[in-house]
Amino acid sequence: MRNILLIARREYLEQVRGRAFRMTTIGLPAVFALVLGVGYLSSLGLGANRHMAVAAPNAALANAIRDQLVGDKAAKARIDVFVQPTPEQRAVLVKQVHAAQLDGLLWVETAPGRTPTGTFVSQSSGDFITAARLKSALTHAVLGERLMGGGMKQGDADTLVDGVPLDTWQVKKDGSLVKTNAESSLWKGYVMALLLSMTTMIYGMNVARSIIQEKTSRIFEVMLAIAKPGDMLAGKLIGVGAVGLTQIAIWLAAGAVILFSPLAAAIMTGELAVHFTWTEAVLFPVYFVLGYLLYSSLFAGLAATCETEQELQMYMPLAAAPTWLSFALILLIINDSNSFWSVAASLFPPTAPVIMFLRMASEIPPVWQLALSIGLMAVSIWGVLWFSTRLYRVGILMYGKRATLPELMRWLRYS
Amino acid sequence: MEAIEVREVTKTFGSVTAVDDLTLTVPQGSVYGFIGPNGSGKTTTMRMIVNIFYPDRGAIRVFGQDAGGESSKEIGYLPEERGLYKKMNVLDQLIFLGRLHGLTASEANTTSRYWCEKLQITEAIPKKTEDLSKGMQQKIQFIASLLHDPELIIMDEPFSGLDPVNAALLMDTLADLRTQGKTILFSTHRMDQVEKLCDSICLVDKGAAVLAGRMREIKSRYERNHVVVEFEGSDKFLSSAEIAEAKNFSGHAEIRLKPHGDAQKLLQEASAGATIYRFELVEPSLEEIFIWTVGGKADA
Repeated sequence: MRNILLIARREYLEQVRGRAFRMTTIGLPAVFALVLGVGYLSSLGLGANRHMAVAAPNAALANAIRDQLVGDKAAKARIDVFVQPTPEQRAVLVKQVHAAQLDGLLWVETAPGRTPTGTFVSQSSGDFITAARLKSALTHAVLGERLMGGGMKQGDADTLVDGVPLDTWQVKKDGSLVKTNAESSLWKGYVMALLLSMTTMIYGMNVARSIIQEKTSRIFEVMLAIAKPGDMLAGKLIGVGAVGLTQIAIWLAAGAVILFSPLAAAIMTGELAVHFTWTEAVLFPVYFVLGYLLYSSLFAGLAATCETEQELQMYMPLAAAPTWLSFALILLIINDSNSFWSVAASLFPPTAPVIMFLRMASEIPPVWQLALSIGLMAVSIWGVLWFSTRLYRVGILMYGKRATLPELMRWLRYS
Repeated sequence: MEAIEVREVTKTFGSVTAVDDLTLTVPQGSVYGFIGPNGSGKTTTMRMIVNIFYPDRGAIRVFGQDAGGESSKEIGYLPEERGLYKKMNVLDQLIFLGRLHGLTASEANTTSRYWCEKLQITEAIPKKTEDLSKGMQQKIQFIASLLHDPELIIMDEPFSGLDPVNAALLMDTLADLRTQGKTILFSTHRMDQVEKLCDSICLVDKGAAVLAGRMREIKSRYERNHVVVEFEGSDKFLSSAEIAEAKNFSGHAEIRLKPHGDAQKLLQEASAGATIYRFELVEPSLEEIFIWTVGGKADA
């Protein structure tokens, strides 16, 4: 045990003192924030400030469409209205679009007894935001016109056209009702699962990279004469895992500071309010440690059989496939977190960490499922470690050639 | 008590037999040379003694206990594949390895500094390993294997890559350790170093011991039919009928006489045409014994 702790301490101190740790601790959240920020800022002006022509068979419909478009503050649209335009006028308007004097033309036809149609003419085929705004405005206007034509008052028609609000409430285990937002649940689950899988993979990779570096530097033979291979691997896993936990603790502390700021308070009470429970706060590090141990022991065995980092990187996507599979199941899990497949995937050790957090975004799973998933992960970690330690013991002394499958089987027997 | 007992040990890797029914005994307090051509099984044997590999058959005991037991704490091992943590500074690295050997941080610190001073590398103490020359790194590894004051020192090619000054420094250090009663087992291709340091040797070839015993006893098996001549003048005497084989290095000749060749007659022939500064009848060198044995030319 003393040697395990000494090796873990060395791994921890070497990594925490390294430049890479400082860079990733500050850099990763910064890059994450930058990507989100750039995405948000670049979306702000999309489809705005368009100068368009709306041509419709009657003034009421044309004005209704214009009012809908102008009423959308984000669109900042300038609309010219044409009532009962002739084909010649249409040709002139199309020419104006071609000459960039107009950004687009919406041509509406509503012959009695026929389905109303709209045609949007513009220079850009990819301006989907403007097309979506026009479709919404046209639908609202036509629907309003039809309802009023059927005798409904304008106020009632507007209410119906605007849609009926739907609140979602969740019945908790204690019987209490809590107002929820499916969209924010989806995002919360997605972000937590992403954070969990990213940190698990990053630190699993760190273990593998550290093994390759030590293999390259030939330190292993010195170490093997002093310490058992199992102790060496355990020390490495604990040391690198502790680095990961340190980094997560720094991020959580920084996150807590930001969460208690007035800006965060405003966001947290808004439409997309996100609420974290104590269960999630406790289980996050638990699933990080379990996921990290499972994948890093797998990566460690893999790294011991490789000669270079390039070779290792070829195998990594395959080894990490279950994590990506978890994300492919995101809609299934969020939509019905208690279905058979949701429960099965959250108990299957390679996908358990991510899937369990996706499930938790909707509701906390029963305790027995949490306990079973943690138990199954612990057993899997033991099994993977058993194999990896044996591959590690022989693999780290094999230089100069890539191991074949029959050789790997022999390595298991040698140990 | 024997420091090391290797009894009928065999180790195979797939279809390759690296060590084949090898038996050797290293007496406590002796310096033991483990020699043999490349790929003869020396490194595999050493790895089995320090418990990195396990034998397929046979038994290895260290100070009377099975390899890998408590006695392994008494071993200081310098592997052939040199390796250190490149990004760590030298002192931190030595303290870390010393602590793994069971020392406290303070003991490891004191001992590391003592050895760095003894091996004349105090300037390397604060540096990162990657900033040191290869020879310096080798000395650091040498120190790492001695930090815990082991009773048994096992070194695989300790002199390879060292310049003559540093090789001599290491030789002196090993000689010091011998006077302290330590047991030393080392492999090398430098036969002159084996002759100077070792009490006993084991010559292995294709995984099996082909020659083993005390150095003096092995040498005494061979006839004293070698002559070293230092001369100035004609070298015609090198084609004498008394000579089986001769090598001439500009006034320094190494000669092997024919069986029953007459050294006195050869001296007369040599002095007839050259001034003789040295004419000495010597035993064959270990290098010659090595070449004869491994090359199948042994005449003893």
